[in-house]
Amino acid sequence: MRKIFILLLLWLVAGSGFALEKCQICHSKQQIHKQEETGRKVPLFVDEGILDRSVHRGKECTDCHVDIVEIPHQNVKKVNCRRCHYSGNPVGAPDGQLYDQYEHSVHGVAVVNGNEKAPVCQDCHGAHDIINHDSTDSKFYWQNIPNTCGTCHIEEYAQYKESIHGVAVSEGNQDSPVCTDCHGEHNIQKPTTEQSRVSAIRVTETCSECHGPLGVVNKYGVKTDRTSTYEHSFHGVAQKMDNKTVANCASCHGYHDIRPQDDPKSSVNAANIPETCGKEGCHPGATAQFATGQIHIDPKSEESGIIYYISKFFLILTVSTLIGLFIFIILDLFRRAKNARDRRSRL
Amino acid sequence: MNKQDNMAKRHELIGELSRNIVESAVDIVKVDGNTPPVEESHNQVKERLSFESSILLNELVTKLAPATTVEDVKKKRMFERFGKNFRSQHMLMFISVIILIITGMPLKFPEFAISKFIVIDLFGGLENSTLIHRVGAVGLIIVGVWHLGYIMFSRVGRRDFFLMIPRPQDIKDFMHTIQYYLGKRTSGPKFGRFSFIEKFDYWAVYWGMVIMIGSGAIMWWKEFFPKYLFDIGREAHSDEGLLATLAIVIWHFYNVHFNPEVFPMSWVWWHGQLTEAEMKHHHPLEYDEIMKKESRQIIEQAEGGSGKEAAS
Repeated sequence: MRKIFILLLLWLVAGSGFALEKCQICHSKQQIHKQEETGRKVPLFVDEGILDRSVHRGKECTDCHVDIVEIPHQNVKKVNCRRCHYSGNPVGAPDGQLYDQYEHSVHGVAVVNGNEKAPVCQDCHGAHDIINHDSTDSKFYWQNIPNTCGTCHIEEYAQYKESIHGVAVSEGNQDSPVCTDCHGEHNIQKPTTEQSRVSAIRVTETCSECHGPLGVVNKYGVKTDRTSTYEHSFHGVAQKMDNKTVANCASCHGYHDIRPQDDPKSSVNAANIPETCGKEGCHPGATAQFATGQIHIDPKSEESGIIYYISKFFLILTVSTLIGLFIFIILDLFRRAKNARDRRSRL
Repeated sequence: MNKQDNMAKRHELIGELSRNIVESAVDIVKVDGNTPPVEESHNQVKERLSFESSILLNELVTKLAPATTVEDVKKKRMFERFGKNFRSQHMLMFISVIILIITGMPLKFPEFAISKFIVIDLFGGLENSTLIHRVGAVGLIIVGVWHLGYIMFSRVGRRDFFLMIPRPQDIKDFMHTIQYYLGKRTSGPKFGRFSFIEKFDYWAVYWGMVIMIGSGAIMWWKEFFPKYLFDIGREAHSDEGLLATLAIVIWHFYNVHFNPEVFPMSWVWWHGQLTEAEMKHHHPLEYDEIMKKESRQIIEQAEGGSGKEAAS
């Protein structure tokens, strides 16, 4: 009690302006750390240079670390970002809608359920190093997002890094998707739930944002009829009929490890197609001949070869047959009407 | 025999009556020297009476005869258009085709709300609707095999199949029909058992069956075929399915449902019979042939009968 009183007195005397300097007396020392009961060393060094570039520069330490009231600090809790980031907050912090989304996301739910490994805000956004995402060293600079997510999702990161999307991102292609482009950001859902952007029901829609008719991939000579041809295929039709087991984009192309077709490791490389089609639960026993032929077929495009001509043939056959039959019916009806008129006039 | 007796009796009565009239008239009426002989007058009166009595009899028969009943109409001469076997084929066929259309069309037009309603709400998902589609397919395949057997092993089937083969007359009939429709002729062509319209329908079904069953089988047992054959099958199945559906709904339904002559439906598919009037109107050549054949048979029977009598 006495300690607190002294501290409060110090607080009042020193004034808030001096708070940062005061904290830095200890926290500017590089070797400062605390030892947890488990034996783990937790560094407590705060780099002032980084802090100055943070979006929170000018804030006091205690603006966030509100529970620090004595030295040495006791029972320091994790900072709660929600203190400022809520709708209508008076300090003008970006509003809390994203926080609401996070609370319903797979990460937020896991945190509530007591999963200690699940990320809270600062695990992704950083703590003292929350730098505007325009800077290349921000955790949220577009090119760094895979690294940020990869901190926890190591395997997925390794696959993604070598995929066509990962390679393009590392080459600086801003049109290529990073994790969040497909999975979403604060609202990330489990892929097995329907709300997820990458669920079996919604993944086609998500892929079509780039590979659909208005897709950005057109720039790179990649076809934009991939989703329309998928929708025309039996797989696409079955998906429209709410079938959950039918193949979607990812079933054949993979997801984190999507590779170009000419890559021998690609699941849609000619050599690997029988194996891809023959997956457990799809077409077990699929042979090489089962996989000979085009996959994404547009009957209206001449590139489809014989399918195009069959489609044209039936179009002509159907239209001409129906026109012929229709004319015949009309003529028949006219003649019947004429006969009826003649009969009446004779009476 | 009875009728002839009656006729003779009537004739006798009229004769007696007229003789009495003439004889009493001779007694009462004083005649001049140049009156015709009694025999002549008697004949005149007899003729007159016989004429009057015939009219009277005719009137009586018409007035006193009971009205025609439904039974009488049913007893009218009917001609068999389709036998039991053929009617059963048609029934299995239309049941199968209706099943196939209901479960097939939604997959051609999956973006329509009604398609989703049929597959998801009505059948409870794609697994069920595709299974039911295969049930319809089995029905259609059975009809195909059945019909091939019918035209090979049944006498009527064989005869009808040969009558179904198109010949030059059909083209002439077609031109004739168009001229009739355009008012250049006063009557349509005379058809035999199968008109060119019926032949067109029949061979259209042949074409449809080959395409639909062939492409359907490739898709059903896709594991045994390369994918490009599957794709060809799927395109053909989808397009021919639509063509067949439209042909049935527009053309066949016009002929057997919406045509003013049969609206709302011709029942021939059920009872297989045509009346004499319908036969004369729609299949006059066949009707003539039947009549000729029957009269030949009667003559042959009569000749055969007398021959037998002579022999005995």
